Amino acid sequence: MKFTGNRALILGGSCDIAIALARRMIEEGLFPILTYRNEKGRDYILENIENSPKKFSSFYLEFGNRDSIDSMLQQTGDEIDFMVDFAQSNFESLVASADSESVYSYFAENVSFRAEVVKRVARIMMKNKRGRLVYISSSAAARPNHGQGFYAAAKLASEAIYKNLGLELGAHGITTVTLRPGYIDSGRGRKFIQTHSKEVIDKMPIKRALAKKEVAEAILFYLSDSAAGFNATEISMDGGLTAGK
Amino acid sequence: MDILEEITKILSDILDIDDRNISPETYLIRELGAESIDLLELAVALNSRFKIDVNDDEIFLRKLRQYITKAGQQNKDILQYLAEKIPFLTRKRLEDIITDLEGGPTLKVKDLIAYVERQRNGN
Repeated sequence: MKFTGNRALILGGSCDIAIALARRMIEEGLFPILTYRNEKGRDYILENIENSPKKFSSFYLEFGNRDSIDSMLQQTGDEIDFMVDFAQSNFESLVASADSESVYSYFAENVSFRAEVVKRVARIMMKNKRGRLVYISSSAAARPNHGQGFYAAAKLASEAIYKNLGLELGAHGITTVTLRPGYIDSGRGRKFIQTHSKEVIDKMPIKRALAKKEVAEAILFYLSDSAAGFNATEISMDGGLTAGK
Repeated sequence: MDILEEITKILSDILDIDDRNISPETYLIRELGAESIDLLELAVALNSRFKIDVNDDEIFLRKLRQYITKAGQQNKDILQYLAEKIPFLTRKRLEDIITDLEGGPTLKVKDLIAYVERQRNGN
């Protein structure tokens, strides 16, 4: 694959798909910069990317902690060509029973904070007159399960931020894509699949969950020059899950 | 190159206009027709060129009319209120702005210069 640029910021870099993506990026000659929100995440990244430290870096970024944006960007500098955004905390609650304070803080962390990161990174990309951003949403944005209302709402709001960025700055070389994966046999999804395996397989027209490697590969494609025509759009990668009833 | 020269160069690049059309007294929006995307580009360019933090709302006087309304609601002296909220402009400039509001957006090139100078001195 061919890429215009080299340095790729990966938000939420300690999840398994982010690590799979970072490994593939290194193979492709890109330089991933993974963010983590705590020491456990940092250690997990270091343990799982086996190569010389010169081929990637990792920095602290905690959604909701605005100071952490400054410190991260001071370290990354003004060279960010790509951004892949996995970051999102989970919040499961029925709408009519959700704790109101938790709802406010959830949207502050997962929507408002994201908007600030996107703004700051977009302004860096504007200086370089190029940039490509891929937001990792979820099939829950289109079809949430019970209890996923706030998760889905935050995903949809974030999708809108990325979409508008691509609309507004496409002429300046900065473009965006949202990917909506379905059930993935990895991380949070794996736990769900393990407890609801028959239900998941039945729902998926391809009769299997997605593998983290194939999601990482798709993200890499959407960062590549071959996908330059995709902008300000959402792409479902769910084996057909959300296409039917 | 001084600040005016730098800003003139940036503006002529972004707006694709002859730099002879730009002076400290030029209105960015009224005369040069700068749109919101142009102002965003300008903010990014000023940040990059002068190594200063740029708050778009502050430098482009976006809350000016809101401040004037608030001063009125709170029975405060408008000039004094604006001087507190927009500290990088002189009282003379703020007086001119108040009398110039009916003509449309009041932002001039010299306001950008004042902002850059304040941010540079603060850094």
